[in-house]
Amino acid sequence: MFPTDFELYKPFFVTGLALGGVYALSGVGIVVLYRATGVLNLAFGAIGAMGALISWTLINHTSFPDWASYLACIVFGGLVTFAYGVIFGPPLADRDPLVKAAGTLGLTLILLGLMSYLWPPFGRTMLLPTSNYSYHVGFAGVDVTQTQIIGLAFGVLVTFLVGAFLRFTKLGTAMRALADDREITSTLGVPVRRVEAAAWLGSGLIAGAAGLLLSDLVGLDAVNLTFLVISSLAAALIARLRSLVATMVAGLAVGLCTALLTPILFWPNASFPVAKYQYASPFVIAIVALLFLARRRVVTVARTEG
Amino acid sequence: MGFRKVAVALALLGALLATAAIATGASGDSTAAPVGSGKQTKTNSVCGLGTGKKATGAVIKLGAIATKQPGTDFTDIPNMAKAYFDCVNNNGGIFGRRIQYFIETEQTDPGQIAALGKKLAESTKVVGMVGNTSIIECAINHKYWEAKGFYVIASGIAPECYGKTTNYSSVNMGPRYSSDGAVQYVIRKGVNKIVFDQSNVPGTGYIKAGPIAIAKAAKVPIVTFEDTVPIQDANSVALKLVQAAGKNGGVVLNFTPDQALLILQAAQKQGIADDVKAWGCSTPCNSDFVAAALGTVWDGKFGVNAELSLPSKPAPDSKLYRQVAAKAKLAFGLGSFSQMGFVEARVAVAALLNMKPPYTAKRVNQAFVGVTNFHTDILCNPWYFGKIAYHIPNNVDLTVTPNKGKMVIAEKCFKISAADPDIAKVRVIEKANPQLTKGKAYPLQG
Repeated sequence: MFPTDFELYKPFFVTGLALGGVYALSGVGIVVLYRATGVLNLAFGAIGAMGALISWTLINHTSFPDWASYLACIVFGGLVTFAYGVIFGPPLADRDPLVKAAGTLGLTLILLGLMSYLWPPFGRTMLLPTSNYSYHVGFAGVDVTQTQIIGLAFGVLVTFLVGAFLRFTKLGTAMRALADDREITSTLGVPVRRVEAAAWLGSGLIAGAAGLLLSDLVGLDAVNLTFLVISSLAAALIARLRSLVATMVAGLAVGLCTALLTPILFWPNASFPVAKYQYASPFVIAIVALLFLARRRVVTVARTEG
Repeated sequence: MGFRKVAVALALLGALLATAAIATGASGDSTAAPVGSGKQTKTNSVCGLGTGKKATGAVIKLGAIATKQPGTDFTDIPNMAKAYFDCVNNNGGIFGRRIQYFIETEQTDPGQIAALGKKLAESTKVVGMVGNTSIIECAINHKYWEAKGFYVIASGIAPECYGKTTNYSSVNMGPRYSSDGAVQYVIRKGVNKIVFDQSNVPGTGYIKAGPIAIAKAAKVPIVTFEDTVPIQDANSVALKLVQAAGKNGGVVLNFTPDQALLILQAAQKQGIADDVKAWGCSTPCNSDFVAAALGTVWDGKFGVNAELSLPSKPAPDSKLYRQVAAKAKLAFGLGSFSQMGFVEARVAVAALLNMKPPYTAKRVNQAFVGVTNFHTDILCNPWYFGKIAYHIPNNVDLTVTPNKGKMVIAEKCFKISAADPDIAKVRVIEKANPQLTKGKAYPLQG
């Protein structure tokens, strides 16, 4: 029987927003780079994961101050993404978007291999200091940590800051122009490579920051963090890789939807309840949304002979 | 621009090398003190013969197959076995012969597992299998090992590792019987409902049959769940379990340590850890890594079924285990997984030292199956192989709980309930074959 008791769902609104914040954060990071360079960066999760592992190592095995270790994660994200963009961006600039995306998949696999070699899986946890402080949400009867709030706020902040940057600054306008047509932008005198490098660096810094937050929110697992990008892609696709605000909203919606399916444990039946397929929901939502957005009116054209 | 590219490439390479250096430095171990040498006595355990001299003779090849995939990594077991074999090789080996150990990893692909078994037996030409720990290896390869006359000293998971075949004997009791023990713990805590959650991997039906039988015998309602690993949304999983259990209920987890930890930390962060009466977990949670990561909030609140003793136990085998583990490449550090590898390797070495050459597959496996009444302070009861129909030699265990970052004993050795029909069968076999656990202890050095 379908559970209709609203009390059952209340706490999942909170966990759903927290999960949605995670999807939104990753999704926005992906769309930022896509809007600026036309590259779908599938290595977004792997870069953040490796940064978080470096940070974890510095905290647990060196005398590095914690703040410097966290900073190392963000800097690593920026440097690796920047280096990839500077080296592989120009040669791939004229290629099909699919080829560009496949290039970042190569980076993903390299980083994943390195992480497997340097940090054999499991046995690590990242607990940011902000996770020691929590607030009780009376409505849902659960606590939320500061990290969860920061994760959500960071996604929102990045969305609006990057949106404003792309819209109102000269560099942002150049980035948007680049994504639309690299050749024409170049002929207009825009320093194409410098602008692209800035976009890669910015996206990398977001990847590093997101990796740090996600290592606490989702768990410090290289594979999990790397492939989290796939669920986040659903949010980006719903927004058609265009609107940052739509990506954020879609991320939150996907997170909420996934979490709210959790208590549906025995419907339509106990063997195959809806809850069992909750992690497929981002893709189901993305497919439905894309089909809806791609709908076309049927136009009938008739030709009169004679 | 060419120079720029080179400079950037060099910078990237430098960053990656620095990362490698950090990570390698972190996992490195500069201590090189010889371990495992000396005289084997009741108060001192040594590696094999304990001569302190490196074996240089012909090799005796042994093999292992372990699962290693996202969300499930059992390689600590063969990695620890390897560390013990290395220690034995550094202490006279098997009367001068060296043990060469081949570890293969698999990703729950039946074809791959079958191929690995054949590769080890027919190409690598191992003469024995020690340390197998896989979700489905027993189910896939047991007929092959039977046909080859191999008796596998393993850490079992699938039912074929215990009751449905005779040529495996495991040092652990596996997820089903360990979950039984965890369920017994929460029942003793007085819960009025049990929620049992496990990772969604092959064999969940077999595993949950035990807890269901035990809860039914105790007349406590039980609800079971399977969650996909790696867990993406631990908060929702924790909430689901707590909601399902209710205020006077108990939650029992059967996951690898990292995944269980995610759920427990999620419950802690959401402030719902106290919303149930008791939390339990099967053996994988018995790790100081879990205790340290959980902090003191869970001290005394979380009971972990321990199929093996505490890694910190002040006893000779446990002391040697800790010394050898310091040389091993372990993902989870000291804990049940590495203890299993240690005991399996120790049993295999004792069997090899108690047989006469030549070390052919046939003779080595006869030696393995001949091990009975093997004493170690890492297990509650003596371990055995023997030619019997059911092999669950580890059916008495204890409960541990976190305390200031370490696991401590919460309940001393207790029998896994014979309400589980598999355990009932084993008790009958043990009664009919007293030599399995009674009489003269199996000699360690021949």
